[in-house]
Amino acid sequence: MANEIIGAVEQAIYLIVTLNPELIEITIRSLYISLSATLIASLISIPIGGVIYYYEFHGKRTLINLIQTLYSVPTVIVGLFLFLLISQRGPLANLNLLFTPEGMIIGQVLLILPILIGFTVTALIGVSNQIKELAIALGANAYQTIITIIKEARYAIMGAVILAFGRAISEVGVAILIGGNIRGFTRVFTTTISLETSKGNIELSIALGFILLAIALIINLMLNYLQGRE
Amino acid sequence: MMHIVELEKIYKNYEKLQVLKNINMKIKRSTSTALVGPTGSGKTVLLRLINLLEKPSSGTVYFEGINANASSNASLKIRRQMGMVFQKPLAFKGNVYDNVAFGLKIRGDKKDIKARVKETLETIGLKGYENRNALKLSGGETQRLALARAMITNPKLLLLDEPTANLDPISTKKMEDLILEINSERETTLIMTTHDLSQGQKLANRMIILNDGHILQSGKPDEIFRKPKNKFVADFVGIENIMNGEAEEIGDGLVSIKTDSINIITVTEKRGSVNLSIRPDEITISKEKVKTSARNVIQGIVEEIVDTGSLIRLIINAGELFTVFITRESLTELEISIGTPVWMNFKVSAVHVF
Repeated sequence: MANEIIGAVEQAIYLIVTLNPELIEITIRSLYISLSATLIASLISIPIGGVIYYYEFHGKRTLINLIQTLYSVPTVIVGLFLFLLISQRGPLANLNLLFTPEGMIIGQVLLILPILIGFTVTALIGVSNQIKELAIALGANAYQTIITIIKEARYAIMGAVILAFGRAISEVGVAILIGGNIRGFTRVFTTTISLETSKGNIELSIALGFILLAIALIINLMLNYLQGRE
Repeated sequence: MMHIVELEKIYKNYEKLQVLKNINMKIKRSTSTALVGPTGSGKTVLLRLINLLEKPSSGTVYFEGINANASSNASLKIRRQMGMVFQKPLAFKGNVYDNVAFGLKIRGDKKDIKARVKETLETIGLKGYENRNALKLSGGETQRLALARAMITNPKLLLLDEPTANLDPISTKKMEDLILEINSERETTLIMTTHDLSQGQKLANRMIILNDGHILQSGKPDEIFRKPKNKFVADFVGIENIMNGEAEEIGDGLVSIKTDSINIITVTEKRGSVNLSIRPDEITISKEKVKTSARNVIQGIVEEIVDTGSLIRLIINAGELFTVFITRESLTELEISIGTPVWMNFKVSAVHVF
């Protein structure tokens, strides 16, 4: 068994070093899907977070609690929810999103929205109220004040974006349920690892695992850097 | 003439706490007003109401005759004609340039931003600071940056909340000089809060004394000093040892002020008939005439001894009546009783001429 693993690891390193086409293709697709999802979710979440932060309204605390609860929603639940919406019998069936990279992107967006909104609100609250007042006193309107505070919290928000990307690229529930692990079309890191392993295709899984670990390492380094800037 | 700011029957409550009670005031254009009062007197809240950062619980704030809180749009428009410097030195992340240019950028006033920032920085003594990290400035520099940021938009009204409260003496002096300059050269109307009476006197041509949310007295500083309306104002302005006399130069840069009965040596630019006061805590007492660096050495007779609880207050007659505080230990040590002759010593800098 040990020999088998060592052999598989050697094979995996060989796949990486020789830039195996399938490996590269899966890597690029994974990055494409998760980066797109992170970008889209950020564009939605940061303004929403800004609005939640800026305005005082009834139920604000409850809303923030609800968002924070959704941080840990299981990925398969999000996958299932979206599946029911876009599958052939679902209300959004005619969008033809099931088993497409676009469908996966939407799923990952849904998955990381709560983290991004919640962390954005937390980051903005972390900026001193005096800075908010300073902006207002200097004549900023609501929109300009929110932008100013977002700029003040930029490193913390970037940290949230990176964390969200980490959650997107490492999740498997949405990727399998919505993507379906179709070779050459929707196959990504996590679906390959979870499904190919059982088929005995260990080398590819281990190689992808290495790359995923490397991405995790890069994310961690970036987070450390940003926290240093804070 | 229309007043730039007018407050009418202003009340402000936080829940059950009443912090401002029936405030009525009118501020003339190009004047400089100091809101003076102890911590918790409501002066900062009053300034924030004028800046429209807060709304009164009842009453009306008028800016150039217009109800300033009529709508949020109106408030924004009016607030953009003001500048505000907060008590705590504060900067946005980024460089000095972006901080100073903030007000211009958000007003969409993009003309000559670079030149205007440069000019403003020169005025406040931060020439060439454009690319410095604003968060790495000293407290004094940050406060001047705050002043630059507030004045670059050429506000009609500049509000300063305890502008020197967090500064060292040198930075305080610089800041005070700048404030005077802005008021006299730019004719900007100024309203500042301060707990420091002498600062109010130095920087403002009108003082408003606040306590417990009420306006106790307003008027010219020397008027308040000479004619406090009530005991609080008198106590607060610390009127003790007030005399008047003729100021006359006696060489060495010194001035002698002759009252009806004594001479007091000080340094002042003023000549002729002047008022002076000496803070009781600046006067030391000795039984014998001692050699000290103090230029003023005056003998008198103890007329009254009052135990205030913490200190002993002596009333000493030296032709003029002096109030002096000493500790209980000193009273016993010096064997002072009513009728004891004592020497009072105080430096030229202890004499405040106004």
